[in-house]
Amino acid sequence: MNGALAIAPILIPLAAAAVQVLLGIRFRRFRTGLSFLSCLALVAVAALLMMSASRGEGATLVYSLGNWPARFAIVLVVDRLSALMLLLTAVLALAVLPYALGRWQRMGPHFQPLVQVLLVGYNGAFLTGDLFNLFVFFEVLLAASYGLALHGSGARRVGASLHYIAINLTASMLFLVGVGLIFGVTGTVNMAVLAHLIPDLTGTPRALMQAGAALLGLAFLIKAAVWPVGFWLPRTYSAAIPPVAALFAAMTKLGIYVILRLSLLLFGADAGPESAHFGSDWLLWLGIITLVVGSIGMLGARELGKLAAYSVLVSSGTLLGAVALHNPAVTAGALAYLVISVLGIAAFFLLTGLVVPREAPEGAAQLEPYDPAIDALFAAEDERRVASPAPVVILAVCFFACGLLLAGLPPLSGFLAKFALLAPMLDHGAGATALFALIITAGLCTVIAMARAGIQIFWADADWQFPHVEARETVSVVGLLGICLVLTFAVAAPWNYLAATARQIHAPAHYIHAVMGPAAETPP
Amino acid sequence: MGIAASAAGPEALAWIVRMMPYGWISTAILLLPFTVALATPLIGRGNRRRTTWLMTGTAGVCLVLATLLFPAIADGEVLRQTFAWAPGLGLEFTLRVDGLTWLFLILVSGIGLLVGIYATYYMPPEYPLVRFFSLLLGFMGAMLGIVLSGNVIQLVFFWELTSLFSFLLIGYWHHGKSARDAARTALIVTVTGGLCLLAGVLVLAHITGSYDVDAILAAGGRIRASPLYLPALVLILLGAFTKSAQVPFHFWLPQAMSAPTPVSAYLHSATMVKAGVFLLLRFWPVLAGTEPWFWIVGGVGLATMLVGAWAATFQHDMKAILAYSTISHLGLITMLAGLGSTLGVVAAIFHTVNHATFKASMFMAVGAVDHETGTRDLRRLGGLRHVMPITATLAVIAGAAMAGVPLLNGFLSKEMFFAVALGANHGLVLDTLTVLVAVAAAALGVTYSLRLVGGAFFGPLRHDYPREPHEPPRWMRFPIGILALACLAVGIFPAWVVGPLLRAAALSVLGPQLPPYNLALWHGLTMPMLMSVIAFVAGCVLYVLGRRRIAARDDAPLIGWTSALHGFERVLAFLTTTLPDLQQRVFPSRKLQVQLLLVVLLAGVFGFLAVQPPPAPVAMHGMHVDPAFALLWLLGIACAIGAATQAKFQRMAALILTAGTGLVVCITFVWLSAPDLAVTQLVVESITTVLLLLGLRWLPKRIRELAPLSPVARYHRVRDAVVAIGIGVGLASLAYAVMNHLVADSASRFYLEQALPGGGGRNVVNVILVDFRAMDTLGEITVLSVVALTVFALLWRFRPAAESIGAPRARGSTPGQAEPHTDRDPRAWADQLAIPGFLILLIAPVIALFALHLFLRGHDLPGGGFVAGISVTMTLIVLYMAAGARWVEARLKVAPARWIGAGLLLAIASGLAAVVLGDPFLTAYHGHWTLPVLGDVPYNSALLFDFGVFAVVSGASALMLVVLAHQSLRRVVPAPDAVRDAGEAES
Repeated sequence: MNGALAIAPILIPLAAAAVQVLLGIRFRRFRTGLSFLSCLALVAVAALLMMSASRGEGATLVYSLGNWPARFAIVLVVDRLSALMLLLTAVLALAVLPYALGRWQRMGPHFQPLVQVLLVGYNGAFLTGDLFNLFVFFEVLLAASYGLALHGSGARRVGASLHYIAINLTASMLFLVGVGLIFGVTGTVNMAVLAHLIPDLTGTPRALMQAGAALLGLAFLIKAAVWPVGFWLPRTYSAAIPPVAALFAAMTKLGIYVILRLSLLLFGADAGPESAHFGSDWLLWLGIITLVVGSIGMLGARELGKLAAYSVLVSSGTLLGAVALHNPAVTAGALAYLVISVLGIAAFFLLTGLVVPREAPEGAAQLEPYDPAIDALFAAEDERRVASPAPVVILAVCFFACGLLLAGLPPLSGFLAKFALLAPMLDHGAGATALFALIITAGLCTVIAMARAGIQIFWADADWQFPHVEARETVSVVGLLGICLVLTFAVAAPWNYLAATARQIHAPAHYIHAVMGPAAETPP
Repeated sequence: MGIAASAAGPEALAWIVRMMPYGWISTAILLLPFTVALATPLIGRGNRRRTTWLMTGTAGVCLVLATLLFPAIADGEVLRQTFAWAPGLGLEFTLRVDGLTWLFLILVSGIGLLVGIYATYYMPPEYPLVRFFSLLLGFMGAMLGIVLSGNVIQLVFFWELTSLFSFLLIGYWHHGKSARDAARTALIVTVTGGLCLLAGVLVLAHITGSYDVDAILAAGGRIRASPLYLPALVLILLGAFTKSAQVPFHFWLPQAMSAPTPVSAYLHSATMVKAGVFLLLRFWPVLAGTEPWFWIVGGVGLATMLVGAWAATFQHDMKAILAYSTISHLGLITMLAGLGSTLGVVAAIFHTVNHATFKASMFMAVGAVDHETGTRDLRRLGGLRHVMPITATLAVIAGAAMAGVPLLNGFLSKEMFFAVALGANHGLVLDTLTVLVAVAAAALGVTYSLRLVGGAFFGPLRHDYPREPHEPPRWMRFPIGILALACLAVGIFPAWVVGPLLRAAALSVLGPQLPPYNLALWHGLTMPMLMSVIAFVAGCVLYVLGRRRIAARDDAPLIGWTSALHGFERVLAFLTTTLPDLQQRVFPSRKLQVQLLLVVLLAGVFGFLAVQPPPAPVAMHGMHVDPAFALLWLLGIACAIGAATQAKFQRMAALILTAGTGLVVCITFVWLSAPDLAVTQLVVESITTVLLLLGLRWLPKRIRELAPLSPVARYHRVRDAVVAIGIGVGLASLAYAVMNHLVADSASRFYLEQALPGGGGRNVVNVILVDFRAMDTLGEITVLSVVALTVFALLWRFRPAAESIGAPRARGSTPGQAEPHTDRDPRAWADQLAIPGFLILLIAPVIALFALHLFLRGHDLPGGGFVAGISVTMTLIVLYMAAGARWVEARLKVAPARWIGAGLLLAIASGLAAVVLGDPFLTAYHGHWTLPVLGDVPYNSALLFDFGVFAVVSGASALMLVVLAHQSLRRVVPAPDAVRDAGEAES
């Protein structure tokens, strides 16, 4: 039964989405309840998986789909890292859901099933131990994200989303070419088996495997919005509606997750003298440049959505640089930073929807839908709840808190996360020192940018028109920030988990052994 | 000197010292302000008196608690209280009290109490006190946190908090632009310093291996010997200098005077700006005594002292004088710490206390003047002693202390400063310079003090004040009086009043190095005394001779360039405008072409660099190419290139050419004996072409002709061609190389061997799809569903470009596209197509039957759920094309979204069946049933899964079709623009 728990994070949202699509526009309350139920269940399942994964070093759970031998089947692997990411995404989704239920989901059809499928994509990508299956879940994630990025339509969103789609389809193609190359020369797409084979790969096959890995890496870098292939992000994220952008906050982190997972599994210290730390110099410098580019973008951002979007680049660059150092202590700090930055950026994106006046209705030619049932969709969803003007004070405090989180200033947990990331970074050569200095500078840039925006919004315009904020929207923002606040004081247990996670992924032998069983002992 | 008060007898005292819960007292001192700060908005709302009590009560309790701690640290002991914080990170939450900490505790809580009382009367009634006191209490807590920190990270934590509270307090009156700008400047400068400090303490901790203050203090030798000493020193000093407004970071402090005066008195003279000094003193034992320390700290202190005093002399705003004076005095203290002598440390501590008392009282007196008269401009003030005699007296005392007049505390620390300056031993030139600057700064101090006090309170009484001035309320004078009294008490009885405190504080920094010093009012006719006299006389002379000229000037001469504010604004403008604009120009986030080019180029670079070692070229011998096959591929390539070149101009042609390429691929699959792929390719190709054709109608007008190419465009074309060819060649060679190095022991072999025995099917492709890698298929059908839903979402309220709204020109070849207007008779065109339509209707059931056939045979022969699903949609397309959407939907319930949902659920359910039976998800079962009549019947549970695939695929493709078909049935809602455009199109 415990084994079957591993598939639950994929099946729960998928089933929820299927039922929601099946019901169409009927039973609105039931469909909404289903979304909540699914997110709650995901949090519970992720917590259970986390508990089972932290039961000692050998607690990695492997689930062979279809009951075929692990080497040929698709395996799901739950270790500390995947459980952490599952929990993070589930909490994020649960927190964002109330926010989206009001005016935002009414902006187009099928919002809730798309969110559920997005979760399928996230969870599948975190769980799978198979490169091609990873590709599939990337596609699931991307397909849902196309729909969500377009949610609400309008020229700006459509324009940005089509760019986003074009770039990501290119990335998918690279992914496919990379997987093809690797499969051709190794005969497997199972990550653990690959990790087992790579140290003994020589000559041309190794060169081709590396080419495949490099193309795969590029696909992940595009996903993580790293310079110079990350310029799609600011436009897409700032055009998307805030709850969607908040859910996307974890998407760049998925790119980082895969790079972290694969670079340590396939090219870690045990990967043989020729393959160890393959590409990590590139990752470090690309991370550093991304950090700089993101910081400059934040400084120059003229609108709040862009500011938030560039802060995503900053966190991506920070994480990529940190991951490239291949040091367990830095990795642990990076994980802490990852968690906080997902929550903080998500809260910030949600906030951008509340402090900016509502979009004016667009006055262009409109075509009415032909299908009368679709009209009914709008009529049914449009029963407006009474919105109350949330006190500006709450919004201001939330904005301030977001600024602190993003900049890594006390008293919120962003400070500790940044400290945990920076402290072990000091003796790893020039690149690490540059990263150290730039992460601190990026914090300063964040302060400057956030102070500028905050002063303009909350201080300068006395008669700024805040939209009427619904209570549930505030609940989402406060909830996300509340988690960050709690993590300032409850540090010990989460930190121990993260440190153990970092140790676990830096010793991939456990992972390989868990998937391959006794076969891992014999040379290929 | 320095006898601890011991009236109760040493034994009783010792008992008290032992029994006091000191750890908890320090904890309470830290927690109380924060707790009350959070509670104030709830408790004090709408009640000024209660709010005041919360503020003053908290500060008072902290003061009393702090006083209780004194016996425990009087002789250089250290009190520590440790809590677990993040043990895994090596962090403990440590509260550490020693003499220096204690002194600051008293300063912070004591002046906090007085400022609280003062502010109650100072703040205009229309401003809520709740927010003000809440922030002030928060600041107090953060400041107490800095001095109580026994851990450097904790210190940085509270350090940044004070910057944040300072930001919020400076911006308290945020409706004024000056307050907003000041708040922003102060925040940026102090946070920059705080971040440098963070980096500095991380380096320090890296050298010592511990974040604990005591551990760091014990490792002085190691730190100074380390190669990282200089970076750590510079970073920490940057933190101290920004906070303590040292040149060149001093510009934020005068600007910060836009804050309410209680804030200026509390944060920006008495406490927060002293945090930098505290830091210098705290790490004096480990960082001081080196050449860099002397040059940087001493030099910066010296420059700040002089620049501050000179600028203060020329100000007209009373608060600006005080701000520059504060800068000057902070420079003095910094210089004292920088000289490296132990007596310098004692003098620095002493002057910190003295400055806090006289400057806070001076600020409050100025605030009282501002409050009563409505102006702070010295040129508009005068003679206030007639109407505000008590305030005037107190201001005179404080001003005299600032000027260093005997009998007041300022005199004593100045004397000590002169003694330190005289005792310096860094070479003749430097020593002389130090002494000269010391005297000059002291003389200027006398001048600006005279201007301040004389200008406001003396001279003839003026009658043109914005408000009618009279004595401020008693409780507003009270805090000024207390501090003035302190100035006097310290000045007259120094050994009794501050002797023990000073000794305890100095002892905690210097330990056994504590030098002998004499806290007496009269030291005899010494060199320092002489310097004092010279400074005093020079200051008076300068005031008498120069005051008219000073009054005529707008700013201080000679030092305009030291005001770094202008430079700061320029840097800020560069960072927030120039640099981002440049980045946007180089990497435009709006241009898709540039981004795709970067992706493709990076792919080329990555692929090229990663192929290490470069594979040896494989000879092409033994590879015979069938000429027919080659020709086929040349055709396909030509089609692809044609499609690419025509896409912009002839969409229909491009589409047909694309279909041609697809067909070539399809034939290739047949050629290479992959019938399953060929079938799939064929149906996918067909449906894509049809859907694209349906979509063409809604694209904006095509570009008819090409403008002559500009050189830039020509360059772009060449560049793109080169990149495209390069990538193509690269990918082809990679593919070729891989095909020459395929491994034999591949998963493919397993699939081929196991498809029949393990998967129960002869069609390996299908067994892979629905059994071996069914999870991938489940994912892909999810993708397909979502894409269909997205297309639906995109199109259901699709607003086409204005020019395509009008009726299309007659293009009878594609009936599905025609007739966007429902008011036309659909039969008009239907008649033209009656015969083809009838034929198509006849074909439809045949295609449907074929789909069923494809589905059922899928596990053993080419076919399967995917192909079958698309074939069903083909049937639907044919029906829609032949009879029109209305006709079909009137007779057939087309609900593709439901097929999708049901299909997904079926696929999940078929997988979950295995979980119920105790096997992993998606385990398939197959075998044979022996039935009575039919005999041996094979069964395979994967068929259920495949049926789910079938439902999803047919649903998804049908959904896209339906939403496209409905485009032509829409009514145009007349929007102003659209009406005009449509009208033009019709006419």
